[in-house]
Amino acid sequence: MSEKNSYEVGFSSDAMKEPRRIVFITRKTSAKVKGDVGPQLMSYPHVILREGIVFQILTIVLVALALFWDAPLEQLANPLLTPNPAKAPWYFLGLQELLHYFPPIVAGVLIPTLVVVALMVIPYFGVNVQGEPLWGRSRRTRLQIFLGVFVTLFVFLAIYQAWTVLVPTVLVAALALVPYFQPSSPSRFVRYLMSRTLPWWVMTWFIAVALTLTTVGTFFRGPGWSWVWPWR
Amino acid sequence: MATTVWTQRLLEQIIKTRVWRSIFRRGPARTNRTRSLAVFGNLSLHILPVKVREKSLGVRATYYLGSISFFLFVVLTVTGILLMLYYHPAVPDAYRDMKDLVYVVGNGTFLRNLHRLAAQAMVLAVFWHMFHVFYRGGYKPPHEFNWVVGVGLLLVTLFLSYTGYLLPWDQLAFWAITVGTNIIGYVPLLGRPIRFLLLGGHIIGQNALLRFYVLHCVILPLAAVVLIAEHFWRIQKDGGLTVRDDNEREE
Amino acid sequence: MSMPPEGKEKTPQKPEEMTPVSRRDFFNQIAGGALAIAGLGAAVVTVKYSSPNVLFEPPTTFRTGPLDDYPVNSVTYLQDQQVYIVRTEKGLWAMSSVCPHLGCITQWKPESNQIACPCHGSKFERDGKVQAGPAPRPLPRFSVRLAADGALVVDKLEIVEETEILKV
Repeated sequence: MSEKNSYEVGFSSDAMKEPRRIVFITRKTSAKVKGDVGPQLMSYPHVILREGIVFQILTIVLVALALFWDAPLEQLANPLLTPNPAKAPWYFLGLQELLHYFPPIVAGVLIPTLVVVALMVIPYFGVNVQGEPLWGRSRRTRLQIFLGVFVTLFVFLAIYQAWTVLVPTVLVAALALVPYFQPSSPSRFVRYLMSRTLPWWVMTWFIAVALTLTTVGTFFRGPGWSWVWPWR
Repeated sequence: MATTVWTQRLLEQIIKTRVWRSIFRRGPARTNRTRSLAVFGNLSLHILPVKVREKSLGVRATYYLGSISFFLFVVLTVTGILLMLYYHPAVPDAYRDMKDLVYVVGNGTFLRNLHRLAAQAMVLAVFWHMFHVFYRGGYKPPHEFNWVVGVGLLLVTLFLSYTGYLLPWDQLAFWAITVGTNIIGYVPLLGRPIRFLLLGGHIIGQNALLRFYVLHCVILPLAAVVLIAEHFWRIQKDGGLTVRDDNEREE
Repeated sequence: MSMPPEGKEKTPQKPEEMTPVSRRDFFNQIAGGALAIAGLGAAVVTVKYSSPNVLFEPPTTFRTGPLDDYPVNSVTYLQDQQVYIVRTEKGLWAMSSVCPHLGCITQWKPESNQIACPCHGSKFERDGKVQAGPAPRPLPRFSVRLAADGALVVDKLEIVEETEILKV
């Protein structure tokens, strides 16, 4: 391909008898080919063997634990007597803690649905694909939006007195603001935070809140869903 | 040694027979062609690609979390089927069968512990896998749809765990399900009909136990198998496992 | 779009009004529609099948002891029916003990003169009103009447106003 002609010229033929395509290749529209993908290995044996080893290690660990850790079995189900406290399995305890603050239709229906939908649409939003740090560009505008969202969330949570959600939100927001106010800090940690993208912060906030809710629901809630200190 | 030599010769003879060659078509996997056929020509394995990138095989690349989730599912299926041999999904029997399994049946406690442990571990593994894929950017194009399938798998896992929770029919099970189905009842418009269908009535009783049993042992595992197959297939078709390097290089 | 020489469609007066459909597309649409209807029908049949018409659940109407069993200013919990019988000077009512929040069974606490729910800490007065906690509504009351032989008949399917009292 010469610089002068940005397209390649093919020759014509009797199109009915021998159809030929004429290809125009310009610099900009050449097919995007993924370059070298790096060294590759045959799945058999490399993948099969490694998966086999993982399975064996997993089985050994599971069997060892199962020999010593007994599954609980309480008394026969009695529809007339509710145990106190009545707790859901641990992966739903976060939700049960949330139910303590918000009406069931919010904590039980609205929020889980929103979370699931939000998870599903992650890959379809450009901001999640581009990988741009949160404080990369237009820092003042972004700070204003960030603070706006944070204050709204703070007020909303404070009104409902949802402390278990409020505390991790404040902590994560504080962490997110560190690289804004100390952009030239030499600390490796701050530079790491500096490069984090918006989706990273949102997911980290979500995990922080979920972990806090679940921990509180597991260890800090007793009869009547009252606050208890786990060491008492 | 003399014994190993004649066993070796015997094996070599067997491999040459028509019967053997009618079953195992490709021959020993010692060339790249036969190694490819070992995967490509195998019913269960051809869902995997024939070649993988070396970088994706390291432990730090994926921590094998996806594989662990899948293997936990396999363990749960096997232990679950064995537990089914003693369990009657009926209201007075279910709890009695649990006691039976724990105190009377040989290795019953062990199998039950294994099942419950694997169930908790699978929920944990699936969540951890999701977070890890997110943080290494494995959802980015062209892998978007596989992420959605993954979220579907998360929901199936949670629902499997939840339906299984009722089956022992003890106080823990009964009241956890009471609260859960009442939450479902709060869904606007469809909530109460869905709750009615799920429980097979208005109360948590015989019908509910049977429906949760069918959901737990048939419907949801089938859904899981289909989604798992799609999940593995998409990895291959979308270009293989992503490694952290990819994303830092693409953008 | 190709116009077959033996065209079955009439030439449209205004192009926007009628778009000709080829035979292939027409049959495809008919087949697709038929499949959709069949699918919908299958779904409806499945849902109707799964909705039980006969429920083997405990009867919801019950009789309970003569009036004298319930002295004035008392709260009696009938455990197997999950009903409180509350009697004051003004009269008597039968109240559900199922917490309206998420369905846990409440307990009568005479020492604090409250009905308490163990699940999320809802507290009710003896007339069912919510004193504390996340319960969205008061405890519902069931219809109760005095039978000819002096027994009380409670119907748990019939829910009445929160202020309704049987004057006895």
